[in-house]
Parts: sequence; structure tokens; C-alpha cells
Amino acid sequence: MGSLPFFFTFAELEVGQHLYWQFGNLRIHGQVFLTSWIVIGALLALVVVGTKKMERDPQGVQNLLEFLWDYIRDLARTQIGEKVYRDWMPFIGTLFLFIFVSNWGGALVPWRLIHLPSGELGAPTADINTTVALALLVSLSYFYAGLSNKGLRYFEYYVHPTPIMLPFKIVEDFTKPLSLSFRLFGNILADELVVAVLVFLVPLVLPVPVMFLGLFTSAIQALIFATLAAYYIGEAVEEHH
Amino acid sequence: MNLPLILASEGFGLNLNLFETNVLNLAVVIFGLYKFLPNFLGGMLERRRKAILLDLEDAEDRLQEATNALEKAKQELSSAEQKASQIRSDCKSRAEAIRLESEKRTVEEMARIKQGAASDLNAEASRVSTQLRREAARLAIEKALETLPGKLDKVSQSKFLTDSINNMGEG
Repeated sequence: MGSLPFFFTFAELEVGQHLYWQFGNLRIHGQVFLTSWIVIGALLALVVVGTKKMERDPQGVQNLLEFLWDYIRDLARTQIGEKVYRDWMPFIGTLFLFIFVSNWGGALVPWRLIHLPSGELGAPTADINTTVALALLVSLSYFYAGLSNKGLRYFEYYVHPTPIMLPFKIVEDFTKPLSLSFRLFGNILADELVVAVLVFLVPLVLPVPVMFLGLFTSAIQALIFATLAAYYIGEAVEEHH
Repeated sequence: MNLPLILASEGFGLNLNLFETNVLNLAVVIFGLYKFLPNFLGGMLERRRKAILLDLEDAEDRLQEATNALEKAKQELSSAEQKASQIRSDCKSRAEAIRLESEKRTVEEMARIKQGAASDLNAEASRVSTQLRREAARLAIEKALETLPGKLDKVSQSKFLTDSINNMGEG
């Protein structure tokens, strides 16, 4: 970048740079951990503050949390079904809130004010490792949900309408986490990159509508991830007749 | 790109470049959200709160109503119980009275029947004795009529007449 002409040097753009932490043989993307901890801390603080003094008249944070609870319950109930949605509501809610707050935190908090030795802070979900971890958790969850609810009869699902479906269903077990993780990661990273490139090219005004659009898609992505996770779990526990 | 980049190679720090950190645009976006979100989300939350409060009020009203109804029902129950116990005691006394009455009547009836049977027996006995007497008299007369024509002659008739006249004189 140093060799670029002066008018290109209002901002700097770097991709694929990470703040590496070394744990034994593992090289960990430190900036993702930092922002994740901040997101988790913010969520915990919100929940603790909102539930510390519960009243019958829901006000302020309590009202917001109850609203979110209602929203997540409706989501889980429509996708998973009346019978077992209660077991999976905490998981779906955690996914939704973590992804939503990560996305919005990445888009709204001026992370770049904090300068790291390498890489930059941003939404944890803009890192493929985070989204893969979440998607694998979803995979484990729906397997567990299916097996714990139906036992070995869960595998009837693989040959459900006809045994011809078997290879497709097996492939689906791999494509589900793949599509979940890539969709979320791609959308969030693309949002961040579009904004970064625009800021790099036109520092003022023009990025604003794109940033609003990014907020919108971020929220949608969180909803899509949570809904699909719930749908997969619902599919696994569904009774075929 | 000058000062921040020097910092960048140093490690953790603050980047205060307004353009590079996109702070101005972020400020606009956050301000916009601050302007619109409270209207949107706040309206939604407020409506939710109102609905909940309304529900609560409704539930409280219904609780009150139900409590009143329960109170009323309890009162009715106690009065009904009272009435029931009264009816029960009435019934008991009436049953007692009826029992006594019927006992008395039975005893009377029995006495009456016994009496009737005795009088029937007496009447029958007297009727039978009367009949027997009549029969005996009839037989005696028949026998007398049978034997009389042979036995009766002038001497015995005059003797009989004399005896009868004597008897009449004695009588």
C-alpha cells in the first residue's frame, strides 16, 4: 500500500491478516476471540441486567429480553414443532443472539479505533472458523436430537420416501454445515469488505447506505442461520408415517 | 497513513485516523439507528408492554370476579348445607312421627282384629247353639208328633190336663 499514490491513502485495506496466538501447535486468530469475548460479555451483561430485577410490569431491558424470548420461542416452535421445541429453544436462541450481536457489533462498533499488531477487529462471524464451529454445533445438535428422540429409527429418515434418497440424504449431512457456515461467513465478510472498499475509495457519505444495507443483511443472516438450525433439528425429530 | 502505520508496527494501540477508521460514517449510521430504532423497536416494545399490562389487568379482574363468585358460592353452599341439615332433621322427626303413628295404628288394628275375631267367634257359637237348640226342639216335636197319636187316650189326656192345671196352679 505504501507505493500507492497519495489520494488512495486515506484508508488502508487488508484481508487475510490475523492476530495469531500460538497454543502448542495451534495458531489461533486472536482478534476473533477478542471480539467473541466482547460479544459474549455484552450479551451476558444484557441478560444479567435485564433479569436482575424482574417485575410484573416489563420495562426497559426486561421488556426487550422478553420480546426476544417471544421471538425466539415462536421461531423454534414453528420450525421444530410443539413437542420438543422447548429442549432446543436455548440453543436456537443462543445461536441467533450470538450471530446477531456479532454481526451488528462488527458493523456498528468502531473497532478500527483499536489497532492490533496484525489483522483487525471485526465481527467474529466474518471469520470462517467461527461460522464452521457454529455450523458443526448445529450438525451435532440435529444428530443428537434425532437419535435421542427416535433412537435408531432416526435413520429411517435417510430412506424416507424411497431408498433412492439415501445418497442425497448422506450428502446433505455434509452440505448442511457447509452451506450454513459459508453463507454466514460470506455474507458478513462481504459486507465488511464492501464497506471497507467503499471507505477506501470514497471515505464519506457513500458507505452510509451500504452500511445500512449491511445491517439489514446481517440481521437477516442471523435469522436465516437460526431458522435453518431449527429447521434441521425439526426435520431430524419429525415423525414419518 | 503516516502516523498510524508507525503505530501499526508497534503493536496494540489506538488508531485515530478519522478516514481509516470510518468513524464519521459509523457516527452517521449510529445516529440514524439512534433516531429510528427507538421509534420502531420502542413502539413495538411499548405495545407489547401495554398488551401485557392489559392482560394482567384483565386477569386480575377475572381473578377478582372469580373470588367474588367463589365467595358467593361458598355462602350459597353453607346456606344450602344449613337447609340440608334442617331438611335432614325434619325428615328424621317426621320419620319418627310416621313410625310411631304407624306403630300405633298397627297395634290398634291388631287389637281391633283380635276383638273382631273374638266377637265373630262368639256370634258363631251363639248361632250354632241356637241352631242346635232349634234342631233339638224340632226333633223333639217330631218325635212327640210321631208317638203322640198312639199314646194319647182319654185317660192319659185327662191326667195330662189335670197335671197341667195343677202345674199352672203351682205356677
